[in-house]
Amino acid sequence: MDSSRDDERLAMALKELRPTPREEFAAELDERAAAGFPRRSRWARLAPRTLFERLRATPPRKVLLPAGALAATVLVVGTMVIVGDSGGGSSDELAAQEASATESAEAGPLEPGGAKPLLDPSAQGSGEELSGGSASFIPFSSESGAATKLSKRSIERSARITIGVAPVEVSDAASRVSAIVHANQGIVQRSSLHEDEGEARADFRLLIPSGKLGDALAEFSALGQVLSRNEATADITAPTVGAAERLQDSRARIDSLLGQLAAATTEAERETVEAELRGERRRAARLRGRLAGLKRRANLSRVSLQIVSGATSGSGGGWGVGDAYHDAGRILAGAAAVAIVVLAVLAPVALIALLAWLLHRTCLRRARARALG
Amino acid sequence: MKRRLGRSRGVNQALAAAVEEAPREADLAFDRLYRDSRDDVYAYAAGLLRDPAAAEEVTATAFERAYRKRSRFDASRGEPRAWLFGIARNAALDELRRRGRRAELAADPADLLAERPDESAEQAERRLAFAAALGALDPRERELIALKFFAGLSNKEIAAVTGVTESNAGTRLHRAVTKLREACDGLL
Repeated sequence: MDSSRDDERLAMALKELRPTPREEFAAELDERAAAGFPRRSRWARLAPRTLFERLRATPPRKVLLPAGALAATVLVVGTMVIVGDSGGGSSDELAAQEASATESAEAGPLEPGGAKPLLDPSAQGSGEELSGGSASFIPFSSESGAATKLSKRSIERSARITIGVAPVEVSDAASRVSAIVHANQGIVQRSSLHEDEGEARADFRLLIPSGKLGDALAEFSALGQVLSRNEATADITAPTVGAAERLQDSRARIDSLLGQLAAATTEAERETVEAELRGERRRAARLRGRLAGLKRRANLSRVSLQIVSGATSGSGGGWGVGDAYHDAGRILAGAAAVAIVVLAVLAPVALIALLAWLLHRTCLRRARARALG
Repeated sequence: MKRRLGRSRGVNQALAAAVEEAPREADLAFDRLYRDSRDDVYAYAAGLLRDPAAAEEVTATAFERAYRKRSRFDASRGEPRAWLFGIARNAALDELRRRGRRAELAADPADLLAERPDESAEQAERRLAFAAALGALDPRERELIALKFFAGLSNKEIAAVTGVTESNAGTRLHRAVTKLREACDGLL
């Protein structure tokens, strides 16, 4: 009973001891409460600690939306970068870019996977092969000492391109091919046009001056939808230089034989030298022919062009459902790649941040506990 | 926003319900919580820190933090007052950490020592003796006394604020009250 009474007295005594705020402080706090507790300093809002507290105080659902928007932006930008870098696709602009890239490449045949080389394997000197849709620079190998001495190398180029157009447009496209070839001072070696019900096809074998190959391919690509495009280059410097050297030797030999023929005193000796001279002249003629062929191969690029119908939906190379499906796949693949990269970067950072935050909380909790002694 | 400065005990507004409604409702609920708890928070902070200036700073900081976090309050995890005093407690402990000192009474606070016109010399002496006994308590015990008798929190709310079970909070509080009563034996 006494204990209960003591407790009541103690409670009364403590009530008397209860601190009360100053009126000025209470009024000031009321004003701040009425104003929604504005920040005490304008610049304090930008302090990292304040920003962190504001972020912590923000409901997760309010953070998720901007965070999702930021992540989506990163994905879109990354996807655009990746898709832009990877090239390919069905657009003519990309094809033209590839043509320019190939034109600027010094050497190195580009061979599609599984496709037969367009060049005569025996004529390929130090060429190397690549797969893919974009041109790459390939360094020359020093196969021949004479070849390495040349400042300008002989490069043979070839291309195979298939254009898809509407069936009714195959004939028009074929006639435009001829115009393009002539405009680029090229040669139509062979052409054929087949038209059946609902289907048409035109085949061309062309020779295009190597310096204008890129422009010509870009113009061909603009005829319709590029269904396939393969380009190849081969370094024929070594056989060219070899043939030139052998021709030079042959000419020297001919001059020498002519000298021997003039100095011959007997009929038998003259006949022997003349026979040898005929043989050497035939050899020189073969070498000249071979050298001319090699130079022609370097100066004129072989192009195999096919114009086919049925691949497009009558829009003359327009963008169709198949293209959309293909592009969507590429975009999704690009987005997935970007997402993986972003995750690979963000996951360790987030883990470190989480560990740091947990460590901070633990330390803060302990420090607060220590503050009370 | 006109405010009623008087204290009211045992008023627990459901902030969480307001959070689910319009933001205006959340503001009104916080306004009620502020009006009901302003003096209590100050009394608790002053009782723990024994420093009126620091108590004002802690009180202001606590309400600022609570205002910014008002939308995060979850009613299923406790009462609004317990939530508010949890924030105030952290602010007070941060203040103690910043000062690098313990929550021990270095000197009697000025408001305790100040003479009050309506009390006799005997009453003033008795009040100062109580204050000295309170200051002699362990800081943790003094905090419990402040939460119970200055802030008017229930044992359940004290348990939520200090992070212990309700029965443990009651036991600790009883121990602190007993210790204080023994220290004030001759005065009761």
